[in-house]
Amino acid sequence: MQVFDLTEDEKDVLQELMNVAYGNATAVVAEMLDAFASLSIPNIKVIQTDELLATFSELKSESYFFSTQAFNGEFKGESAFFINQTSANNLAKHLELESSEDLDDAILELTNVLTSTLTTKLSQEMDTEVSFSLPSLSKIPLQEIGKTSAFKHYSQVIVIDTDLNFQDQQIHGKIFILTKDESIQWLKTKLNSILELLI
Amino acid sequence: MKYLVVDDSKLARLSLVKSLKANIEKAEIFQAVNGVEALKVMHSEKPNIVFLDLTMPEMDGYEALPKLLEINANAKVVVVSADIQTKAKERVIALGAQLHMQKPINADKMKEILDII
Repeated sequence: MQVFDLTEDEKDVLQELMNVAYGNATAVVAEMLDAFASLSIPNIKVIQTDELLATFSELKSESYFFSTQAFNGEFKGESAFFINQTSANNLAKHLELESSEDLDDAILELTNVLTSTLTTKLSQEMDTEVSFSLPSLSKIPLQEIGKTSAFKHYSQVIVIDTDLNFQDQQIHGKIFILTKDESIQWLKTKLNSILELLI
Repeated sequence: MKYLVVDDSKLARLSLVKSLKANIEKAEIFQAVNGVEALKVMHSEKPNIVFLDLTMPEMDGYEALPKLLEINANAKVVVVSADIQTKAKERVIALGAQLHMQKPINADKMKEILDII
């Protein structure tokens, strides 16, 4: 297996594109929730899948909702959204939801809007298009994350992670965009061409 | 005229500098990677126009904005950010920014900004 890494310039370009995309996605979700989110700087790294599972375990939540949405095209991969039980309860309170089915539905919709807006904008910035599968939601204990089928398709991934943070409502989530091996070389070429246009 | 571009991203700074140069022949442009550096440049160079990002390490744009205007009340600050939430726009205008513009900025968008301010 070929091992890839990103240069500092490539990371910078990807981070900035992600920043712009995340700003758009957050604005849509903020409007949906009628709340204000504080934005954080996206973190970019290339890691092996076992390291990714260790990263997830750092979330330190015993129980959480975990939803994923695959995207396809030249830029191919999966987005994952985590929201822990406490934040999910606060989301239910904020939206005045009465049943757990309503909460599941709200989290799925939140995931769909957040990750599809984010990935669409990121793809637009890179002058390409992606198509989406329907998001799926599971509620799983932390120790079982390694068994999640979504991560078996990856050996090495570019992880772009950032936080969703609605401070007043105490709703916090974490978003990961995982890029498949075959997209990494495409991504590196694209990031370099974007930078070259400006130099 | 002196311009200061404040952004932690090299891509964002390059993009802003290029769009400025496309509109202004002899622009004196300074760059800073966060609010702390921006304050130092404001002290030493007194730029007339500042392009300020919001999400930055060390000192973000929200914290830097009033401090920049404290040093030079005549400076015009244009916030250039990916955060396009209405409350973010209202907050930076209340803090003294002239404008809030969505990233990324190209030459046409820069012309718009320069025409307005």
